Amino acid sequence: MTLLTIKDLRLSIGDVEILKDIDLSLDAGKVLGIIGESGSGKSMTALSVMNLLPQAAQRGGSILLNGEELLQKSEREMNAIRGREIGMVFQEPMTALDPLKTIGHQVAETILVHGAASRRDAYAEADRVLERVGLPRDRFPRDRFPHELSGGQRQRVVIASAIALKPKLLIADEPTTALDVTTQARILELLRRLVDEDGMGLMFITHDLAVVADLADAVAVMRQGDVVEAGPTREVFRTLAHPYTKALFEASSHVPPRDPSLPGGPPVLEVSGVVRDYRIAPTRMFGPAGAFRAVDDVSFTIERGENVGLVGESGSGKSTLARALMALEAVQAGTITLDGKPLSDTDLEARRKLQVVFQDPYGSFNPRQRVDTLITEPFHLLGGAAPRGEERQRRIDKALTDVGLSPSDAHKYIHEFSGGQRQRIAIARALIIEPSLIILDEAVSALDVSIRAQILDLLAELSDRLEISYLFISHDLSVVRSITDRVLVMKSGKIVESGKTEDVFRDPQHPYTQELLAATPSLERSMAGA
Amino acid sequence: MTAPATTADTRRAGWLYQALRSPSFMAGAIIAGIFVIIALGSFVWTPYDYAAQNIPNKLKGMNAANWFGTDQYGRDVFSMILVGARTSIAVAVIAVGLGVMIGVPLGLWAAARRGTLLDEVIMRANDLVFAFPALLIAVLITAIFGPSATNAVIAIGIFNIPVFARLTRAAAISLWTRDFILSARVAGKGAARISAEHILPNILNTLVVQITIQFSLGILAEAALAYVGLGAQPPIPSWGKMLADSQTLIALAPHLAIIPGLCIILTVLGLNLLGDGLRDIFDPRLQRGRR
Repeated sequence: MTLLTIKDLRLSIGDVEILKDIDLSLDAGKVLGIIGESGSGKSMTALSVMNLLPQAAQRGGSILLNGEELLQKSEREMNAIRGREIGMVFQEPMTALDPLKTIGHQVAETILVHGAASRRDAYAEADRVLERVGLPRDRFPRDRFPHELSGGQRQRVVIASAIALKPKLLIADEPTTALDVTTQARILELLRRLVDEDGMGLMFITHDLAVVADLADAVAVMRQGDVVEAGPTREVFRTLAHPYTKALFEASSHVPPRDPSLPGGPPVLEVSGVVRDYRIAPTRMFGPAGAFRAVDDVSFTIERGENVGLVGESGSGKSTLARALMALEAVQAGTITLDGKPLSDTDLEARRKLQVVFQDPYGSFNPRQRVDTLITEPFHLLGGAAPRGEERQRRIDKALTDVGLSPSDAHKYIHEFSGGQRQRIAIARALIIEPSLIILDEAVSALDVSIRAQILDLLAELSDRLEISYLFISHDLSVVRSITDRVLVMKSGKIVESGKTEDVFRDPQHPYTQELLAATPSLERSMAGA
Repeated sequence: MTAPATTADTRRAGWLYQALRSPSFMAGAIIAGIFVIIALGSFVWTPYDYAAQNIPNKLKGMNAANWFGTDQYGRDVFSMILVGARTSIAVAVIAVGLGVMIGVPLGLWAAARRGTLLDEVIMRANDLVFAFPALLIAVLITAIFGPSATNAVIAIGIFNIPVFARLTRAAAISLWTRDFILSARVAGKGAARISAEHILPNILNTLVVQITIQFSLGILAEAALAYVGLGAQPPIPSWGKMLADSQTLIALAPHLAIIPGLCIILTVLGLNLLGDGLRDIFDPRLQRGRR
């Protein structure tokens, strides 16, 4: 039976048309995956159903929930529906919970707001719901606060408060994007189980095709406010009838072409026995300070032109290791040498050979400087030998051309560029000083799949042409697989497995690597299983 | 390489163009400019001697001979306003300047060394200063050096230091966690250089707004100090002192309160508008929309 029918849904904010005649339908007990890149209107579709749109938004068309028209409802009527009939789970579990309320209270609140039960019953019900989402009372007392839980546990609390009143429709907007792969796998499992047990409909919004391939019964692919293709998941993914679906599919499993002969020669980076301890504040006054070993006796080398992946979940120490390599923090033991020179905080000469590209294309530039100033920042490492005048101009032009931008972009400000272009500028900034090694810290994680494929191509091409080595830090195993020659798996500060990328992915030895790989959603695997 | 140069030129021309086109910047600049001209002009010309008493002609309303009327001693209010502008504006500008000059670098320094003993020492010292009201600082200074406008400036300036140090540190600390700061560190830049190149330009917004607020508070603080006899000494007038002196006569001669009050309001308004305009002009993100 059809639970939700969206017909000819139109949405505009001011003069801008956001959604154009969206048609979707969802049956009870089924999962509808909505796939799209940023700006495709997928979140706006969900917010239209909830009527949580910005003030200036104008809706048209029809949204039927169990045969009832939602578009005609007043704000007061919608308040009764939100939470009771429709639940919603957001992307960021860190901000979706009130930090001052206990987890028991957050869930009971949904019940209390709708006057569905007395205070005592609401808390008892909250208790049962939390139990259902996998937070048993004996291990997670109900008076815990959100900051005492991990990201995945918090997302469970968010889900619990969304399903507390057994809504008919659950909308989940990128609920696992902020989580580690193993946590993601468990949350997806939980959502599927709840859908099956309660017979509710789940609208699952994501940019990741692999995630929905396993979970969803039907998918809708959105682009620029339009549904370009919709149908049963397997059919859509098998036939790839629409060119955009096909392009998305190819971009997600994109492997950039590489020159296999290149890696070899003298090592660019040698890390041996590196230890990084953090001091922990003493638990009692005048007590001894504790220490937390974030990186524990790590050794590896990277050869010229070699791309090495470093994978691990949050808290595994990979970012700490990266910061040690950038010589931003002193290490407690071990040595790091770059092109044969030991790396130190004060020695600018050794640091010339190393550059970094960060994850967030929006946060990694000073908004008040022009592109030419931004990308020439590494010249500081050259001291008095920094190029000036014509030579400086030539280097700027070359770096921008290398990353596929035009030299005239040098005089623009960073806000004039899109996310993908900004990441190109970040790469230009790393290239301008002609380094031997670039650390790519989740450098493509924030990008849409099609942009990500372009950036991966660019990185592969640069590595081959300029003989640059990469240390590719990522939690996304499929990306690491596509671009690296060798991979290091890190857990609790130690490298637990390393080897040729293909070997590790095909035949993982360490149980942790096996667990990681099993948890990673894979398009090929779900297609094969279908 | 002529093409990029022309782009840069048009952008620089665009800066002035924008300043001229920004209504709040222009309005603010005109108002603030008038008061500065008045203050400077008073050195050369005032209609009467600001200190000359003429008791028979006391408490006159506005008229052709005394444009803004006369006070209880028959002094010409217009002349007093002109001369008072010097005191009030100078006190506020210098006091805020003192706060910015010392407070902002302290805040930047503390933020750069956040979490260390140095940070603690700087900020706790600021707390200590902040704990004393400006009035109390003024009393302390006056007790040592004697009352004068200079000492009022120093007292208000000292009071301004922790205001700017705290604001700067808070704004700077959130910037220190950003990736572009990390990338500057990777480029080998030191804390001082990063503070000047990356941190300061990005907290300018906040500082400009606070400067206009502190400026108006500065004029009022001078009035308060003058009122208890710790500011400019008679017969040198200041707007705040004129306002304070007028209060017993408010029913008899309201113009004595209204005129200096209006002057203070207009100056503060002008500076606020100027600050808003400057903030918009210096933010590259807002340039495109206005073009």
